[in-house]
Amino acid sequence: MVYYLIVCRSLTYAQRTAAALERAGITARILRSPKLIDREGCSHSVKVAERNLTAALVVLNRAGLTPKRIFLQAEDGGYREVGL
Amino acid sequence: MIYLDSAATTLQKPPAVARAAAWAVGHLASPGRGGHMPARRAAETAFACRQAAAELFGVESPEQVVFTSNATHGLNIAIRSLVKPGERVLISPWEHNAVTRPLHALGAEVLVARSPLFDRQGLLDAFEAGLDARPAAVVCTHVSNVFGFVLPMEEIAALCRRRGVPLIVDASQSAGCLPVRQDVLGAAFIAMPGHKGLYGPQGTGLLLCGGREAVPLLQGGTGSASALQTMPDYLPDRLEAGTHNLPGIAGLLAGLRYVTGRTPEAIGKREGALIRRAAGELARLPHVTVFRARDPACQSGVLSFQVAGMDCEAVGEALSRRGIAVRAGLHCAPLAHESAGTLETGTVRASVSDFNTPAEVERFVWEVSRLAQSSR
Repeated sequence: MVYYLIVCRSLTYAQRTAAALERAGITARILRSPKLIDREGCSHSVKVAERNLTAALVVLNRAGLTPKRIFLQAEDGGYREVGL
Repeated sequence: MIYLDSAATTLQKPPAVARAAAWAVGHLASPGRGGHMPARRAAETAFACRQAAAELFGVESPEQVVFTSNATHGLNIAIRSLVKPGERVLISPWEHNAVTRPLHALGAEVLVARSPLFDRQGLLDAFEAGLDARPAAVVCTHVSNVFGFVLPMEEIAALCRRRGVPLIVDASQSAGCLPVRQDVLGAAFIAMPGHKGLYGPQGTGLLLCGGREAVPLLQGGTGSASALQTMPDYLPDRLEAGTHNLPGIAGLLAGLRYVTGRTPEAIGKREGALIRRAAGELARLPHVTVFRARDPACQSGVLSFQVAGMDCEAVGEALSRRGIAVRAGLHCAPLAHESAGTLETGTVRASVSDFNTPAEVERFVWEVSRLAQSSR
């Protein structure tokens, strides 16, 4: 399944991000960012389904929660950064 | 035992506090340090605690709620963040060593807004005059830990905002029993313990950060930006190096929920009524000097007194033998005692929590009356 990873600056920020999405009815799961996309070493991401990304970005924009970066995980397991 | 030393640490806690702390020992690992269930549960608990504190204290975001080991820890961070060595700082006459010692260590030029005990207008006038000296920061306790004097914090905060001087609030004696709101005060930092009026375990505290740049006291692992050799520039990670005290945080969360349910206003009202009762009855005893405010709004659940002819430590010892726990001496606040004229003698302090009863206060007064009679 294809999904997006919203990379957050901290665990607490990821928790705020996931909480805002869940409140809007968007399923969001916090996970440690995969090493391949983790430039600074150790960060947390919020995982959302591909179909929910647009709605998620609208929710986050309203809540003033800016994603650090966003990656698309393709079915082959690779990651591709998505322009914000 | 009748425990009247809650200004140091509340001993009777809501039962949920001990349950939560004990559960955390076997079930919670380190937040942000793994993707496994114990780490995730720990992260959820820490976030819930930050959220509960943010709501109770009017903080915009849970990220601005930093875990500390006590109020002293938070005050040290706040002071180091705002005051450079040798800079001028304005403080109240009722500060604890948790404020004065860090300032002394920094070599700060300390100005004291001197005014009589329980004189709110006098204190405001002294702060107004002290701000003319353009201090780098104001540090002010919300409530004196010795005398229970409730300082006019909202008015002091307004003065600081008007003059553009950052304010550090020591909420050690007010958090949990008086309204403490970051969104009202607009303080640079508010430091508080978790183990007093918030009914958490010892070893917990909170620092509420109001947007000023914060300087970490400790450097180390944060579970974030690990490839960098500098501390993260975002909160709360910037100020939280090392493994968190999760049993403490879990217990503190339970304490915060208790206080939120009861409301600080209701707790403060109950404590104030108990201490006014004690003060009124002690004041009728011959040979007992009571430090009490005429205006009930000026005194919290903390009371100092002296027994003529008896050393304050001897009074504390004697009450302890009779099953009553109070604290005697200088209460780590020599400046406050100097300001009240009790530096040489010290005082005996009785302080209540939401769990004390009128019957306990009656018994305490009766034991003091017996002591006072025997001292003559």
